[in-house]
Amino acid sequence: MFLRSGLIGLSFTLAAHSAAAGDTFPLTIENCGQSVTFEVPAVSAVTVGQAATEVLFALGLGGKVLGTSVWFNDVLPEYADLNAKVERLADNDPSFESVVAKRPGLVAAQYEWHVGPEGVVAKREQFHDLGIPTYVMPADCAGKDNTTGGDGTRTRMFTTGSLYRGIEELAAIFGEADKGAELVADYKAREAAAVAKAQEVALEDASALFWFSSPEMESDPFVAGQKGAPGYMMQQLGLRNVIETDEEWPTVGWETIAKANPTVIVIARMDRRRFAADDYEKKLEFLRQDPVASQMDAVRNNRIVVMDAQGMDATIRAIPALEDLAAELSVIGSSQ
Amino acid sequence: MSAAAAITWQGLKGACLALPVLIAAVLAGAMIGETPLAPDLVLSVLANKLAGAGLPVDPVDQGIIWSYRLPRALVAGACGAALAVAGVVLQALLRNALADPYILGISAGASTGAVAVTIAGLGGGALSLSFGAFNGALLAFGFVAILARAAGAGGSRAAAAQIVLAGIAGSQLFNALTAFIIAKSANADQARGIMFWLMGNMSGVRWPDVWLAVPLALAGWVICRFHARALDAFTFGTDSAASLGIPVRRAQVILICATALTTAVMVSIVGSIGFVGLVIPHAARFLVGPGHRKLMPAAALTGAVFLIGADIVSRIIIPGQVLPIGVVTALIGAPSFAVILVRGRRAAR
Repeated sequence: MFLRSGLIGLSFTLAAHSAAAGDTFPLTIENCGQSVTFEVPAVSAVTVGQAATEVLFALGLGGKVLGTSVWFNDVLPEYADLNAKVERLADNDPSFESVVAKRPGLVAAQYEWHVGPEGVVAKREQFHDLGIPTYVMPADCAGKDNTTGGDGTRTRMFTTGSLYRGIEELAAIFGEADKGAELVADYKAREAAAVAKAQEVALEDASALFWFSSPEMESDPFVAGQKGAPGYMMQQLGLRNVIETDEEWPTVGWETIAKANPTVIVIARMDRRRFAADDYEKKLEFLRQDPVASQMDAVRNNRIVVMDAQGMDATIRAIPALEDLAAELSVIGSSQ
Repeated sequence: MSAAAAITWQGLKGACLALPVLIAAVLAGAMIGETPLAPDLVLSVLANKLAGAGLPVDPVDQGIIWSYRLPRALVAGACGAALAVAGVVLQALLRNALADPYILGISAGASTGAVAVTIAGLGGGALSLSFGAFNGALLAFGFVAILARAAGAGGSRAAAAQIVLAGIAGSQLFNALTAFIIAKSANADQARGIMFWLMGNMSGVRWPDVWLAVPLALAGWVICRFHARALDAFTFGTDSAASLGIPVRRAQVILICATALTTAVMVSIVGSIGFVGLVIPHAARFLVGPGHRKLMPAAALTGAVFLIGADIVSRIIIPGQVLPIGVVTALIGAPSFAVILVRGRRAAR
């Protein structure tokens, strides 16, 4: 589906290293093809995209967020009180002027298609002309071509490296590099533990399917391609993605999926109720009742994992999602 | 031989020609797809399901053929036939070669209804996209009909133009409403789902859709076929039709409502598939001439086979992915139509 971001980004530029290394100002960061210089630490921000908002909250910088926008789900429960105090400019795309009116010290965006060359909110230059610096989460542009429309096309597989880089750089922009390093260290440790747990299980020729949603219950579903966040999770946990395309979220027919017969099916849970299959209960019902889908091993053996939809994206929620999936694989492995 | 007997004999002859072609197309639709399945497998599944043969077939393969592909082929056929016949009727009624079923605002209204449900959240998740599309289509058609009537539309050439203009106005209005809803509240992932639907999506078709689409297409065809003489007369204008004893107003209302209703249902099942209703009538005219008695079945058969073929192509053209069928209808249809146009011109010399 559109709007799923993600990407790669293992290699840190020199600038990123300096950012992560300390609070040296002026700070120059190479960000999504642009060189952005911060003379002094940012004191405030408006976020365009839930992932950017939650990173700032996780860094303990929620008090500096003047406004948020582009929400897919309820905020993580641990930030509910904090988020309640922050103005929500728009559930979806905010207008350029509503962002500018907050006079933010930074505009932090999750996706280039909001703030970027063809940005629906604005081009980055429009903010820069007004003296407002911008930062786009590297997960949406590192190893990804966003000129192809839609969700863009990944040229390399997403890795959590780009996610961690975004955390470190955002922290550095606010002069809080230590907080960034601390948070990333914690996530890295959790990721390594999840991978180790999955390796203990070592399922034989295990494969998986990640089902996000479907426009109509019986129609071709939006599933995860090879190179997005789910692709990375599967690779880390030793699962083969039955969907072979490199597209971020392709629509693939159930007959192709059924013939591929995945060992495990991961279905997205979300608050949104716009498409029939947004409700994970309806997904479960479909899998159990559809004459073809119900024949898959994963359904017959009840190897269906429910995952937070945002965990399937290049966000900090991908880490707990990875942990949950590893735990589920342990259960599946022990019952084999 | 009496005239009635001649018609019946012609009809039988036509049916004998059409049915094998249609059955072959449906079987091709069941055989060809994303995953290659052998022809004898299709026959085994049919034997199992229709005659309880109990032949050993992999349950997944059987499900793919019986529950996915066959309904899809049958609905594609019904939809193609219905849209083509609707196109024939409207081109005759409005005396406009560019008329198609969507000229009555149905496609634009269906889109508005679809986005109202899926993007604006109308019904809070309780309503389906198809339900929204159907009601949107009827709403838009009602608007166009009232506007056309207020503008004094009727059967003369000038008055027929009023219906076309009312349709354009209605379509523009509902397209604007659709754009408004998407701009106001859509996330891009929702927009993509809608885009796919707007371009025609057969992937969700199952047997219940067959029980709706096939009888409706048949009923629509029977109603329109019954008015074949009236449509011939309308080609020369309403005055000529009236002088031939055709109840002009009644025929217009029945035919427009029948085409609007069948089109609205088809759009709600498979999305706005363009091209079929506009071009297939012309293709059929090149094949059998302008007389509606022959044109109607020829258009229905051509439309059905064309859309089944387009659906097959949409499923195999990109490995592992399905294209919206509307893209394929235009990609195949436009060059084919160009060939027909050029050949028709040469033949006319």
